[in-house]
Amino acid sequence: MDEYIGKKLIQLKINGERFSAAAEPHETLLEVLRNRLGLTGAKAGCDVGECGACTVLMDGKPVLACLLLAVDCQQAEITTIEGLSQGRELASVQEAFLAEGAVQCGFCTPGMVLATSALLTQSIRPSEEDIKRALAGHLCRCTGYNKIFAAVQRAAGTDRGKA
Amino acid sequence: MLLPKFSYVKAASLGEASRLLAAGDRKTCLAAGGTELLPRMKYGLVRPEKVISLKGVAAAAPERAADGSIRLDALMTLSAAAASSLIQAHAPVLAAAAAAVGSSEIRNMATLGGNLCQESRCLYYNQPHDFQFTMPCFKRGGDCCYFIPEGKKCRAVYMADTAPAFICLGAEVHIVGPRGVRRIPLEGLYRNDPLQPLTLSAGEILSGILIPARPAHRAEAFAKFSWRPGFEFSAVSVAAVLNLAEDRQTCRHARIAAGSLAAAPLRSPKAEAALKDKRLSTEAIAAAADQAAREIRPVPHHGYTRAYLRECHRVQVRRVLSTAMRPFAKT
Amino acid sequence: MSAPDYVGKRVLRKDGPVKVTGRAKYTVDMQPGGLLTGRILRSPHPHARILNIDTTRASKLAGVKAVITARDTPGIKHGFVETPRYPADQWPLAADRVRYVGEEIAAVAAVDSHVAAEALALIRVEYEPLPAVFDPEAAMAPDAPDIHPRNSRITDPFNNIAGKTESGWGDVAEGFARSDYVREDRFRSHLRTHGYLEPQATVADCGAGGKLNIWTSSQGPFIKRAKLARTLGLSQAAVRIQHAYVGGAFGGKIDLFAHEFCAALLSLKSGRPVKIEASRDEIFSAYRHGQPLIVDLKTGVKKDGSLLAQQIRIINNCGAYRGSGVVVIFLSWGFAMLPYRLPNLAYEGFAVYTNNPVRAPQRGHGAPQVRFAVESQLDMIAAELGLDPIGIRLKNARRPGETLPNGDNVHNCGLIPCIQKAVEHTGFHQKYGRGRPTAGAKDPLRRGIGIGVSAYFSGSLIYPNSSSVVVKMNDDGSATLLTGALDIGQGAETILCQIVAEELKIPLEEIEVLAADTETTPVDIGSWISGNAYVTGNAAREAASVVRRKLLELAAEELEANPDDLVASDKSVYVTGSSDRRLSYAELIAAGIRRRRGDPLIGEGHWRTLRDVPYHPSLATTKGRWSENYAFDAQVAEVEVDTDTGVVRLVRAVTAHDCGFPINPLLVEGQIDGQVSMALGHAFMEEVRMQSGRTLNPSFLEYRMPTIYQMAASEHIDVITESYQKDRPFRTKEVGEGYVSAILAAIANAIYDAVGVRLFETPFTPEKILKGLGKI
Repeated sequence: MDEYIGKKLIQLKINGERFSAAAEPHETLLEVLRNRLGLTGAKAGCDVGECGACTVLMDGKPVLACLLLAVDCQQAEITTIEGLSQGRELASVQEAFLAEGAVQCGFCTPGMVLATSALLTQSIRPSEEDIKRALAGHLCRCTGYNKIFAAVQRAAGTDRGKA
Repeated sequence: MLLPKFSYVKAASLGEASRLLAAGDRKTCLAAGGTELLPRMKYGLVRPEKVISLKGVAAAAPERAADGSIRLDALMTLSAAAASSLIQAHAPVLAAAAAAVGSSEIRNMATLGGNLCQESRCLYYNQPHDFQFTMPCFKRGGDCCYFIPEGKKCRAVYMADTAPAFICLGAEVHIVGPRGVRRIPLEGLYRNDPLQPLTLSAGEILSGILIPARPAHRAEAFAKFSWRPGFEFSAVSVAAVLNLAEDRQTCRHARIAAGSLAAAPLRSPKAEAALKDKRLSTEAIAAAADQAAREIRPVPHHGYTRAYLRECHRVQVRRVLSTAMRPFAKT
Repeated sequence: MSAPDYVGKRVLRKDGPVKVTGRAKYTVDMQPGGLLTGRILRSPHPHARILNIDTTRASKLAGVKAVITARDTPGIKHGFVETPRYPADQWPLAADRVRYVGEEIAAVAAVDSHVAAEALALIRVEYEPLPAVFDPEAAMAPDAPDIHPRNSRITDPFNNIAGKTESGWGDVAEGFARSDYVREDRFRSHLRTHGYLEPQATVADCGAGGKLNIWTSSQGPFIKRAKLARTLGLSQAAVRIQHAYVGGAFGGKIDLFAHEFCAALLSLKSGRPVKIEASRDEIFSAYRHGQPLIVDLKTGVKKDGSLLAQQIRIINNCGAYRGSGVVVIFLSWGFAMLPYRLPNLAYEGFAVYTNNPVRAPQRGHGAPQVRFAVESQLDMIAAELGLDPIGIRLKNARRPGETLPNGDNVHNCGLIPCIQKAVEHTGFHQKYGRGRPTAGAKDPLRRGIGIGVSAYFSGSLIYPNSSSVVVKMNDDGSATLLTGALDIGQGAETILCQIVAEELKIPLEEIEVLAADTETTPVDIGSWISGNAYVTGNAAREAASVVRRKLLELAAEELEANPDDLVASDKSVYVTGSSDRRLSYAELIAAGIRRRRGDPLIGEGHWRTLRDVPYHPSLATTKGRWSENYAFDAQVAEVEVDTDTGVVRLVRAVTAHDCGFPINPLLVEGQIDGQVSMALGHAFMEEVRMQSGRTLNPSFLEYRMPTIYQMAASEHIDVITESYQKDRPFRTKEVGEGYVSAILAAIANAIYDAVGVRLFETPFTPEKILKGLGKI
């Protein structure tokens, strides 16, 4: 039980790599990702857990980085949007979002893609309700969600009759 | 938005956390899921000098005792509770309530204990006060109310969704504190005081919830009514648990509870009494719903008027009772 | 002529890959070294005199690098419009008065956010609160508090008038006298906001030479540069606004914002880069929202449903400064008179100052509010006269080639086929009139269907007025496209690429887009005047066609052929009918260097709406030519009302639209879906709730934007009225703002069809529905 204040070196496991950052207890995971580690894919849309734009995966589960203290995240395997694809090859979820036109301004996209990725890992043939439940916390102001929904179905292989 | 600068300690157990909490003062806060604490800190509603993190304390898996009761760890996440096959089988009303809270991300982080111990809420309160509503209201330690300007008391409401479900299950909560562990019915956790909704004293932490054994024939259902399902707090949430006779049409014992209508979850004892030993026909259900709406005077909140909330409450009680009885409908 | 290869195709976005991988850089992602955090001090009072601002303690705080108030600025005002009648009325930082809660008073730059917050708390401001007024009709009264000095030309006999528009034709009194039926209704639209996911933010970095480099979340960098340079007292050459992706805007990021000015000035004073990022609650409570309009509508018709006369009076709750308030009262006139023939009109619009935050255009900019009024009333008129709601619309709808009263022409207006196809596609007549409550029905759900009609302009003259595009060839035959156009999500970069690809027959992957940088790309009208496809698109077409002409000239020489016999295809030119007489672009460019002094192949294109008209029409009188390109649409809504809870669900939206022709159908669909979503939010749930100038619900939690659960089935029907023609200007119409309006009206009409409740005020909340049903 060591109580501390001020900067301390913390270790984070992100996208399969180990990172160190000097962080104070009050710094959120989102702040450390964006401001210390240059991983700006996770976005601050509201900073209070109401929009989903800061979503990252923690041990495969989607969570809100703006509501996590960085110092609390040292044991977990964190996946950010940057970790989803290798080089120029995109993950199938990302391809699906592009193919269906599910990206407009792109600000909600990293969170949506990660949440979709987690959903499809957990549920191979998600129902309409499964999809809505997984993405209900992700606000999108551009697409009306129609093409995002289609992209999830495409990635899941549940869209019938599509090329 | 900013978090205040605080010192941080990661507790290894709830007992340790309790000791640290008791040793600290009002300036020490407990962080479990963080989904309530961090926004409150960012809004400046609480400025702890020390935060005790419970992220290092593992939640025990749900445990079924020999007498059929189920003990749930307070640190169990809402998503784990919603997905638990044991809870789905033993207390589906709770699985439904846990699944109705917030978004999937929030449910992955938030805990049962945190949900039950949440602070009361109000539109004017749950926002930053840098340049709006700057004078502290009653809940912020001041002496005014922005919602009812001529009012002399706070009107914040308690909105936890799992509370009505747990209450209808007859749940008991376990509390660790400086004087050891105590167990009280969940309803004893609430005092219906918007300023201080919980009866926990300094250093006390909810450690577990005990759900009694499931009787042979039981109907139960939960509904959370809001204008945006899957995202926001409820206008009203309703749970009902009905112990049925062997014919599975007659109610032996009913519990009906509603959330977000007051500073505590509220039962509807008259409506419950009206159902005792009655056949749960459409008419009986409608009458019980009307009675429930008559016996609770909703506190208007978050832009909903009293009249609307009353009608919503009536409709949701009727719907919950009907849904609860649907598996037993005669074909 | 063969079908186009690139235009009209469902091409994937150029910026798609960077967005799905999280590599796209938005303003908030820019992190130059030595970055300081800026914060703004805001007024807690809706109306007050500033007696004194003391920043000494803040300036002395360790870690604070600059503090500014109005006296540190050049004292130059700005405004959304700046004309002799409507001069600029807003200071970047309040000087002697604050006029709304949240108005900007001071700003600090510090080494981190905690120091900046502490510094703000150390600034002492002495206020003398003044009486405030929030309701526009109360503000118009002679005894209302005076928010701004009077301009008697526009205020008398009312108080607090920020602007007035008066227009009309014919004789409405005579028109009403001849009408068989006249009805008068008041419709109110409420305060809504844009809800863009990316917060307002600016990073300003003054380099060593005093040159300002700026990234800012905007809707077009050229208007920002102009206003920033002017208010800072700098030349435009000293201010560079660089490209950043934008996370949505919808009208809320157009003109100059205080945080942009402050970030720039703080950077100049501190010598370091400064970032100011508004918090979400600041955005909801102190930033620009949409414009709530009161619409008083009196309409006279003949018994066959033809419109004879209309008298319209609109009151806009303008907020504390003019903002775009004087534009929306002009536009509302336009949206009222566009879709239907109207022989007699009397129009009056008032923008009224109140002590509320400034307003901005919000997608549709008056059209949703006006069409809601007109289309609701038209349904009521049809019902009263026993006429079919479709028939009455077809009777009055504009036809192709009609001249509008202002002298514009609707050209290939597709409104009538839009209405017909929407009706046919939805089986409107089979469903209409079925949903009304029947006694004894147990199911609380009722369905209803409704229609609405709207029109929008595609490009109009407002600063910077015109767009230019440059296309330059690389020596391997690939190309670079330079455009000042900004992609705010709508796909601007992609469609411009498609146009250039089409003109030059270069694959899309071999065209690089350089966009939205005031230093390196040519001027552009911006993504807020519905002209990207039409104006910038034609500029791109021209630029590419200049390059093609040069390539063909080279080919004519090299191949010794007649230019008329040459065809461009697949990055090469060949002689028609003999495909072995062909040279690639690379070969042609090399030949040009050998033979023609090495002139590079660069093409410029310029376009502007109404090239022979000098100005935008008068905002005060509407006189003048407005646009040469109008888009029309009809939308049908199917709703489901839960009569127990009052919750209404938009089940299905069908958009029949005359967009001319779609450059990229995939992107057009996305625009339609997004606008249907915004309209359903407008209709059911979204409301900025204010009380005495303060926002009660400054969060995504309480400002109810639709989530995926509210997603409606969105279908579209293209009504193609134009086509892409090589070497000729094309009239492709806007698709970004026109589809939020008719659907809103259709929803109102569908609710009436379902449950017989007619609502005159948005939003159509569950509570209002239950009240209308007599249940509470």
